[in-house]
Amino acid sequence: MRLSASLAALAASLAALAAARSAAGDRLLVVADDAAQYSDLLAALARRGFAVDVRAAANTSVALSEDGRRLYDHAALLAPAAKRVGAGLTAQAFVRFVNDGGNLLVAASSAASDLHRALAAQFGAEFARPGSRVVDHQARNATADHATVAAAIARPAAAAPILSPDLRGPVYFRGIAHRCDPANPLLTPVLTAARSTYSTPLADPPLAGRALALVSVLQTRRNARVAISGSADLFSDALAPTNRRFVRDLLQWTFQEKAVLRETAHSHRLAGAAAADAAAAVTAATHQPEHYRIGNDIVYDIALSVYHDDAWHPYVADDVQFEAIMLDPYLRLTLNRTRAKDTATATATATASATYRGRFKLPDRYGTFTFRVNYKRTGYSNVDVRDTVAIWPLRHDEYPRFLTAAYPYYVGSLVMVLGFLALCAVWLWSADPAALANNHHHPAQPPNDNADDDAAAAAAAAAKSKSKPSKSKQKQKQKSS
Amino acid sequence: MGGSSKVLGLTAADQASLLRLAILGLISVVAIGSRLYSVIRFESVIHEFDPWFNYRTTQYLVKNGFDKFWNWFDETAWYPLGRVVGGTLYPGIMVTSAAIYNALHLVNVPVDIRNVCVFLAPVFSALTAVATYQLGKEVKSATAGLLAAAFIGIAPGYISRSVAGSYDNEGIAIFLLVLTFFLWLRAVRLGSALYGALTATAYFYMVSAWGGYVFIINLIPLHVFALLAMGRYSNRLYVAYSTFYALGTLASMQIPFVGFQPTFTSEHMAALGTFGLIQLVAFAQFLRGLMPARHFQVVVRGALVGLFAAGAGALVVLTMRGVIAPWTGRFYSLWDTGYAKIHIPIIASVSEHQPTPWTNFFFDLNLLMVLLPAGIYFSFRELTDNHVFLILYSLFAAYFASVMVRLILTLTPIVCVMAGIAMANALEAYLDFRSSSNNDGGGSGDAAQPADTQNSSSTEPSGAKRMHGWLGRTVVVVNLMYFLWMFQFHCSWITSSAYSSPSVVLASRGPDGSQHIIDDFREAYYWLRKNTRADARVLSWWDYGYQLAGMADRPTLVDNNTWNNTHIATVGKIMASDENTAYELARRHDVDYVLVVFGAMLGYSGDDINKFLWMIRIAQGVYPDDVSEQAFFTAGGEYAIDDSASAAMRASLMHKLSYYRFNEVMGQHGFDRVRRQQLPTKVELSNFAEAYTTENWMVRIYKVKELDNLGRRHRAAMAFDGGS
Repeated sequence: MRLSASLAALAASLAALAAARSAAGDRLLVVADDAAQYSDLLAALARRGFAVDVRAAANTSVALSEDGRRLYDHAALLAPAAKRVGAGLTAQAFVRFVNDGGNLLVAASSAASDLHRALAAQFGAEFARPGSRVVDHQARNATADHATVAAAIARPAAAAPILSPDLRGPVYFRGIAHRCDPANPLLTPVLTAARSTYSTPLADPPLAGRALALVSVLQTRRNARVAISGSADLFSDALAPTNRRFVRDLLQWTFQEKAVLRETAHSHRLAGAAAADAAAAVTAATHQPEHYRIGNDIVYDIALSVYHDDAWHPYVADDVQFEAIMLDPYLRLTLNRTRAKDTATATATATASATYRGRFKLPDRYGTFTFRVNYKRTGYSNVDVRDTVAIWPLRHDEYPRFLTAAYPYYVGSLVMVLGFLALCAVWLWSADPAALANNHHHPAQPPNDNADDDAAAAAAAAAKSKSKPSKSKQKQKQKSS
Repeated sequence: MGGSSKVLGLTAADQASLLRLAILGLISVVAIGSRLYSVIRFESVIHEFDPWFNYRTTQYLVKNGFDKFWNWFDETAWYPLGRVVGGTLYPGIMVTSAAIYNALHLVNVPVDIRNVCVFLAPVFSALTAVATYQLGKEVKSATAGLLAAAFIGIAPGYISRSVAGSYDNEGIAIFLLVLTFFLWLRAVRLGSALYGALTATAYFYMVSAWGGYVFIINLIPLHVFALLAMGRYSNRLYVAYSTFYALGTLASMQIPFVGFQPTFTSEHMAALGTFGLIQLVAFAQFLRGLMPARHFQVVVRGALVGLFAAGAGALVVLTMRGVIAPWTGRFYSLWDTGYAKIHIPIIASVSEHQPTPWTNFFFDLNLLMVLLPAGIYFSFRELTDNHVFLILYSLFAAYFASVMVRLILTLTPIVCVMAGIAMANALEAYLDFRSSSNNDGGGSGDAAQPADTQNSSSTEPSGAKRMHGWLGRTVVVVNLMYFLWMFQFHCSWITSSAYSSPSVVLASRGPDGSQHIIDDFREAYYWLRKNTRADARVLSWWDYGYQLAGMADRPTLVDNNTWNNTHIATVGKIMASDENTAYELARRHDVDYVLVVFGAMLGYSGDDINKFLWMIRIAQGVYPDDVSEQAFFTAGGEYAIDDSASAAMRASLMHKLSYYRFNEVMGQHGFDRVRRQQLPTKVELSNFAEAYTTENWMVRIYKVKELDNLGRRHRAAMAFDGGS
C-alpha cells in the first residue's frame, strides 16, 4: 500500500519534470524578424523547456488561435518595428490572446509601430511620441548617442517575487520610454530610469526621470501576465552580458515559471466536525452543512501553494486574511498556518501546499454571507476564493427554554392555574344554594349566596351560561316545530 | 299551510330546506364557475405578484413538511439579507392548500399542487357563500341569507381577489371573515361560551391567513363597546366577548408573524381596553345588586372618571415611552390619504393603496351599493344587538373602502348581507300575493327569531297591500327582478373583462378579433432559469421579485414583501444613478443581472419607466444627497424621455437600459407608444451588456459586466474591441 503510494508520487513527480517548467504550458511563439539577434535568449528558453516557435512577423501563417482555442501558451513580440504580424494579427488579437489566458511579452523600440502602441495602451502603458528615444548623458557606458542607458531596477515595495532579491547592477536599455497610466491599477513598472534620463524629443509635459518607465509588467485579473518593454535590444545578444539575469527573471515571471500562486483546496465546517478527522479536513467538504446558524463556531481552511523552480511548494506567508462579508465585512481575521497539514498533503498529491486555518464564531446576524480570501500581492497570482454561505437564524426550538429574567412570569402563570383550579373546586364543592340555611363554611361565599336573588350579578355569569343552553334548546325546538 | 300539503312525501318545512340546500348548491356552482374565466381564457396559471410567493412557499411546504417550512430562512430573497419566511408570513393559505393536497393524495387523487393553488380561491368562494347565508339567516331570515349568498357569489368586489389563479391570502380570508362574524353574532345572541370559543377558533384561522384580521379585532370590540354605551350590557355579551377575546388573543399569538403584537401594539389596544371595560361593567352590575342605588351611583361615577383618566393617561405615557408601539404608517394613511404620499412613498406607490374613485364602488358593487342604505335603514328599524353590529360594520368598512381601493374587499360581504336584508324585506312585502294577510308562516318556514321580527313589522305588508293592488306589486317585483337580472349581467361582464387577466400573461386582440397572447414575462423568466447560474443575483424593481423567485428561481435583491425600505431605496438609487455609480453599487451588491420591464413597443403602460418616479422618490427618501426628484424633470417640469429630457434622466441607468438599441427596431424617428414621445437618439451603454430581450421587448435583461481583465474602463475596452 505504502509502496504503491510512493510509486505513484514518484511517477507524478517524474511527469512534472518531463512537462514544461512553466506552470501555464510550454508552447511559446516568438515573433522576431531577426532571430539570430536573440540566440542567447532563445537558447535559454529552449533549455528551460519551452517549445519555442520562432516566426518572422511577415510570415502570414502566424496565428495565435485556431477555432477559438489558443495555439500558444506564451507569446513574445520581439519584432519592434513590425507594422503587422502574420496575416492580420491586430492588437485586438493579442488582447484576446491575453484575455484567453496567454502570457505576452511586448518589446518595442524607437521605431515602435501603431500595433505596439495600441497594444501597450490597452495595458495602460503609453509609449512616448513616435521616433523618440530615451537618452541619458550621464550614463557610464555611454555610446556616442547616449541612447543606451543604464537603468535602475525598480523595486516597488511588494514586487519582490518578480525579480530575485539578489539581482543587482545596471540593466542596459536602448529604446523608447512609456508612461504608466495611473488609472490602471494592475500595471507595475519594474525597470525605471535614473533621474538624469529623459525622452527626446521633449514632449509637453516632458517625460523624464522617475516618471518615465522602461519596463512594466501587468498581471490581468484572470492571472495572465504581460510584460511591456520599450526596448527589444534589452533582450538581444549584444546586451546579454549585463542583462541576462534581469531578462531571465522578467521572463520567468511573465511566462509563469515562478510566483504562480494557487489555492489547492479550501473548506469551512462546524468546529465540532474538525476534531473528528483532521487529516482529510482540507480536501473533504463532507462536513459542510447546507447552511450554518448564527453564532456557530466555524473552522475555515485554505491551502495555498506557490510554483517556482519547477515545482509547487507550500506558500508561506503571515498575511493571509479571511473575511466574512455581507455588504460589509462582519469578520476579518488573519489565518494561521497549520504545520502538520503540509506534509500530509505533500505526499498525497505531489503538490505541496501550506494550510492556513482560522477559527471563528459567526456573527449574530443572519443572511447570505460571502466567505472570502482575497489574496492579492503584487507579483503573485491573484487568489480570490469566495464561498456564498447562508447563515440561518435559530430554529424555533433552539432558543433558550427557561430564562431567569422570566421567572416572575412562570410563577404568575402557575399561580393563575392553581387559583383557577382552586376556584373551580370551591365552586363545585361549596354549598348548594338550596342548602343556604346551613350556615357558613366559607367566608368567601357571600356573593354566591346572593347569586340567585339577583340574576344580573356578575358572578352568576357562569350560572347563566349553565341556564342558557336550555333556553337555546327551547328555541331550537321552536324552530323545528 | 304547515304540514297539510305534502309533495313527494315532504312537509312544507322539509321542502323549504331542500330548496334552500339546492339553491345554496347552485349558488356555489355559480360562484366557482364564474371564477374560472381566467383558466378557460388562458391556462391554469398563478396570477399577479403576491400569489407567486404563496405558491412558492406552498411548494416548499408540500415538499419539505411543516417543520422545515416553519423554520424556513430564504437566503435567496432580499440578497444578501435573506428573509425569515416562517416568521414573516401568514401561513394559513399554504397550510390549507397543503392539507387539501395531502388529503387528496391520501385517497389517491394525484392532483398537482399548482392546481390546488389555482382553484383554492374559487372553492373558498363557495364556502363564503355558505357562510354568508348563515350570517344572513342569523341576522334576518333564510331569504335574506340566500340573497346575500347569491350576491357574494358573484359580486365583482370579491371576485377581483378570488378568481382561479389568484392564490392570495384574501382568497380564504374573506370566508374566514364572514365565518368569524357569523359565529360572533350567534355567540352574542345565544350568550354561548361554545360559540365564543368557535369564534375564537375561526379568528385564529383568520389571523393565520391574513393581516386583515386587525379589522375583526377592532370591529368586535367596537360592537361590544357600542352595546355597552347603549346600555345593552347583558351576560350573554359578557360570556361571548370574554371567551372570544381570551382564547382568540392567546391563539393569535401562536402565529410567529403576530407574536406578542396583541399585547403591545396600538392596533390591538382597543380590544384589550374593551375587555377590561366589560369586566368593570360586569363588576359594577354585580355591585349594583349588593348596595343601595344611591351609593351605587356615586361609586360608578367616581370609578368611571377615575378609571378613564387613569387608562387614558397610561395609554399616553406608555405610547410616549415606546412600550406600546405607535401606530404604523399604514394605519395613519387610513386617516389621512395624503400621509403616505409625503412620508412613506413605498406605500403610496402601490396602486391598490390609492384612495378609491367613486366609480370603483359602482364598478365593484353596482346594485348592492344602492341597497346598502336600505339595509342599514331596515337594521335600524329593529335594532337588535346583531343589527348594531351590521350597522357598525357597514359604516366602518365603507369608510375604509373609500380610503384604500383594496379595502372594497372587506366592504363587499357586509354590502351583500345588507342588500340581502333590504331585498328580502322588499320581496317579503311585495311577493306575498295571498289575499289573506294574517298567515305568513308557510313561505319560508323560518326560525323563531326571524319569525318574531316579521311579526313586529307585520303592519307593513298589510299597509302595502292596501295601497297597491296586484298591479302595483307586479310592477315593483318586475322592477326588482330586472335590476337583479342586470346586476348579474354586470357581474359576469366585469369578471370576464376586468378581473380574469393573470397579468403574467397578457392578451391582445387583432383587428380581425383573433386573440394574441403576449407571454414576454414568462419568456424572460424562463430564459433566466435556463441560461444563468443557479445563484445569479437578479436586480429588478421590487414588483417583480416574487415572480423572479417563483418562475426564474433566482436570488433577488428586493421583492413584494417590502420590509426593508433602505434596500429598496438602494435599488431605486441604482436605477436612478448614472451608469458608473450604478455599476459600482451593483457590483457591491453582487448583482449579476439587471431586469427592466419596458412597454414602449407594445404600449404597456405599467412599465418601469412609468414607475421610475416612485423609484426616484423612494431613493430620495433614503439618499437625499444623491437622488433628487427635481433633476429628472425638464426645465418646463415635464417628465420627458426623448432628447429634451433632463441630463439626470438621460444619464440614469433605467433610461439607458430601457432605450438601449431600441431605435434599431423602431427606426431613428421611432416613437414611444406609452409616453407618446420621440425616442432618444443616442443611448450608450458600456458597463452593462444586453443579455436578453423578449419578443415584444417587454422585458430586457442585462448582464453586469465583470471588471475588465486588463484594468481598463469598459467604455475604452468597448471602443477598442469594436475596432477589431
